[in-house]
Amino acid sequence: MRALKKFIPHIFLMGYLLIILYPFLFVLFSSVKTDNQSIAANPFGLPSSIMFDNYVNAWVNAKISTYFFNSLYIGILSACVSILFAAMLAFAVTRMRYNKISAIVFQLILIGMLIPNNSLLLPIYGIMRNLDILNTHMALILPYVANAIPFSVIILAAFMRSLPGEIEEAAVIDGLSSAGLFARIIIPLTIPAVVTVFIVNFLGNWNEFLLANYFLSSNELKTLPVGMVGFRDAYNTNYAQMSAGIVFSVVPVLVIYAILQEKIIEGVTAGSVKG
Amino acid sequence: MNKALRNPLIYIVFILPAFVLFLAFFIYPIFTAVNNSLTSWNGISKHMTYIGLDNYVTAFKDVAFWKSVRNNLYFILFSCLIQVPLIVIFSLLIANVKKLKGLYKTAVFMPSIMSTAVIGILWGFIYNPDFGLMNELLGIFGIEPIYWLSDKNWAMIAILITNAWQWTGFYIIMVLAAILSIPKELDEAAAIDGATGFQRAMKITLPLIMPIVSVVIMLSVAGAMKAADIILVMTKGGPAGSTDVMATYMIRYAITSFRHGFGNSIAILIFIFTMIITVLYQVLIARRSERIEY
Repeated sequence: MRALKKFIPHIFLMGYLLIILYPFLFVLFSSVKTDNQSIAANPFGLPSSIMFDNYVNAWVNAKISTYFFNSLYIGILSACVSILFAAMLAFAVTRMRYNKISAIVFQLILIGMLIPNNSLLLPIYGIMRNLDILNTHMALILPYVANAIPFSVIILAAFMRSLPGEIEEAAVIDGLSSAGLFARIIIPLTIPAVVTVFIVNFLGNWNEFLLANYFLSSNELKTLPVGMVGFRDAYNTNYAQMSAGIVFSVVPVLVIYAILQEKIIEGVTAGSVKG
Repeated sequence: MNKALRNPLIYIVFILPAFVLFLAFFIYPIFTAVNNSLTSWNGISKHMTYIGLDNYVTAFKDVAFWKSVRNNLYFILFSCLIQVPLIVIFSLLIANVKKLKGLYKTAVFMPSIMSTAVIGILWGFIYNPDFGLMNELLGIFGIEPIYWLSDKNWAMIAILITNAWQWTGFYIIMVLAAILSIPKELDEAAAIDGATGFQRAMKITLPLIMPIVSVVIMLSVAGAMKAADIILVMTKGGPAGSTDVMATYMIRYAITSFRHGFGNSIAILIFIFTMIITVLYQVLIARRSERIEY
């Protein structure tokens, strides 16, 4: 009886786990089937013969590789730049002696967390057109960097505030300027927070769809989510091949998640940026 | 000491890049959106005609606009009435199991880190009337196939299910963290007094996690107002506008049919509606749930 009672929560949780994981298995199985007929004939299980042609076709013919590397470099570059800028601002605001201005600047940046991104889509589109950089990667990199700033500043500033004040005293006595203090003392100490913020920003950029969809039109420039949607629209009669495409876009994220699970959960929930 | 940390030039150099980007991409766009919302601008021509509040009047008179507002409300209601109770139940279950806790924690969060666009494609496949998982499952119970995304009675429900699939685990992790930070002594004392597991959950854990549940509700309301990519990928607002939300309605007019000024007025309305809901919620509900100290 007691053993049974212990088992009941696991029944519900296993049910939930099945709902979460089965869609992935369904796509994985479908991606190695020959065509729609073989998916329809046996939707739940592995096919009789496993076929990898879908993967080759998706990667080479459908240019998933191009989209993949576009996303990778835009995501990494934007995340790095926003962290650099956010860390500089966070340092000045928390560590330099301009308390009144710093309080105003920080409060203003906090407002950024409240603004619904959707409502800024059109004006930002206008800015990009005026700068004449629509349909270049800069049209994504600039807004991605800017969008990540409020969240990055909040997390980095909180971390920098928690560092003891004696650090500055020691460093300044040793002859460091504030720029030197930032680069050689504060940044190395802030690395744990920087890593968390980097992952969250990178994942946000990697997954972003709206801007990427409307700001870029040429196929060679597209990012993975937009490329995948285009790929689906072009091949929507071939579900086996589409599944291979889905696997390509899901696997990198899952690998990162498997390795950095704790950091990702910590960072994403700290920022609570989406829902 | 002060000399090194009070260098105005360095201070400005350090603040400027982030601050300029912030002003350019958050503050300035709000003002241009307000300005453009008062025009009949098509988004391309150099000439702008100011038409006062006509765009807002047009929106308020448009049945399709109110349909999109209603769909935003469905998102909010679905998350508050269905998702939140599930989130609390599953968090309590995970917190109280001894084995496999790590597995549950890792797996439930997984969908939340993935691209909404890709999830939309994945679920579009699951909802496929001919080869999809959903109808195959229904078939086992002898239920006729449903045209999930092309039937206007089902499309919104299909999207809400997909959205819940993506985000429920994210909130479970937040609530779970709150439950696990409650000191064990409270629970143990109640157990010694003879309280059953269910009583302890209802009388001790639940009241203590109400502040975080309140945050979860707030975040999912904000998320409901942001939803757009999932709809664009799965149904593009169709069939017949049955899955349009304010954001997709805005995009349709501003980008696809070149009514930029009108689109901007919708952007401002999204902004205002979100603020109203946020403030109302803060005043009516969040303030009442006091902060709890152990």
